[in-house]
Amino acid sequence: MKELELFKKDWKAKESGFPKLNQEALYALIWKRSSSIVKWLYYISIAEFVFWTALSILTKSAEQEEIIESMRLSTFISVLTIVNYSVLVYFIVLFYKNYKLVSYQSSVKELIQSILKVKKTVSQYVWFNLSMLAVATLGSLIGSILYGPESEAILEMAHQRENTFVFWGIIGLVVVVVIALAIGFLLLFYRLLYGILLKKLKRNYKELVKLEN
Amino acid sequence: MNKDLEHKFLIAFEAHQNIVHKICTLYAKDHDSHHDLFQEISIQLWKAYPKFRGDSKFSTWMYRVAINTAITQYRKEKKRIDVHDIDHVLFKTSAYEAYDKKEEEQLQLMYAAIKSLNDIDKALIFLYLEDKNYEEISETLGITEVNARVKMNRIKKKLKKILKP
Repeated sequence: MKELELFKKDWKAKESGFPKLNQEALYALIWKRSSSIVKWLYYISIAEFVFWTALSILTKSAEQEEIIESMRLSTFISVLTIVNYSVLVYFIVLFYKNYKLVSYQSSVKELIQSILKVKKTVSQYVWFNLSMLAVATLGSLIGSILYGPESEAILEMAHQRENTFVFWGIIGLVVVVVIALAIGFLLLFYRLLYGILLKKLKRNYKELVKLEN
Repeated sequence: MNKDLEHKFLIAFEAHQNIVHKICTLYAKDHDSHHDLFQEISIQLWKAYPKFRGDSKFSTWMYRVAINTAITQYRKEKKRIDVHDIDHVLFKTSAYEAYDKKEEEQLQLMYAAIKSLNDIDKALIFLYLEDKNYEEISETLGITEVNARVKMNRIKKKLKKILKP
């Protein structure tokens, strides 16, 4: 087959065209698998940040502002927003630093340590977001019970009861259930989003530890 | 792996790294996946090296591990995306050699045809391009020599059919 022979000739000529890696570069390459996973963690953290910010900007309305105002939650929401965004930016910087750290690691031991650091950052990040959600939900629920459109009826009901303690107990229970549900949903979301990547990272980590031994 | 073995492996790998690159040009679909496959093969070679007894040549062993890894990866990819876009496959010919246009075109077509083969056929063609005889091909792929010959003839026919339908 003439065409195949021609191709074979060219195939051999191509030999010198490939990049040549030295021993250090080859060694580094073998340990670099984690870097792409950590890079994705960084990208996802930014995407998530953009997504939530866009969502809050798009859903912002004068009506909503009024409700917040009437529930006397303006200051609470503003402080929460400032804290939230500053910490999120801090986390994104942290994710970026992790990514750089893992990318330039040369020894197995250092890489193992970096992977542990990445896992810690992710879990801190998730916990921060969950607590923010809990605080925001708690604040809005208390605001709406005390100052919301139905608050007078609720307070009236509490007065009419002989045992106000039980009444507020039930309200408290409802609040806890609502917060638990909100956290549950977010946790599920994070499990899907970061769980898969962390699992891959864990597998790689195990492999590294095995090789190191 | 101890330091001595590590060192021995790196020296041999450095000398034969082109084998891995060439496999990647046949199995990877673009530049990024070329890099990923190169890395994956490097890792598998590294992991398998302590079991390499030296019964065969280092290069023969390397061919075997690298081809197996490429095939495994290829199957994983295949599960994800089942489309093969030949148009996007660009064959870069060596810059220093001046080909006439027709020859260049022929090379491109042949490259696209080889890339469209299945994973096993690709492995056979690869070893053929590497100038391996049937004995070496059968040893590397773990098939009989007769089987290798029969397969090779079939592949050549397939390629002909792709090139001149």
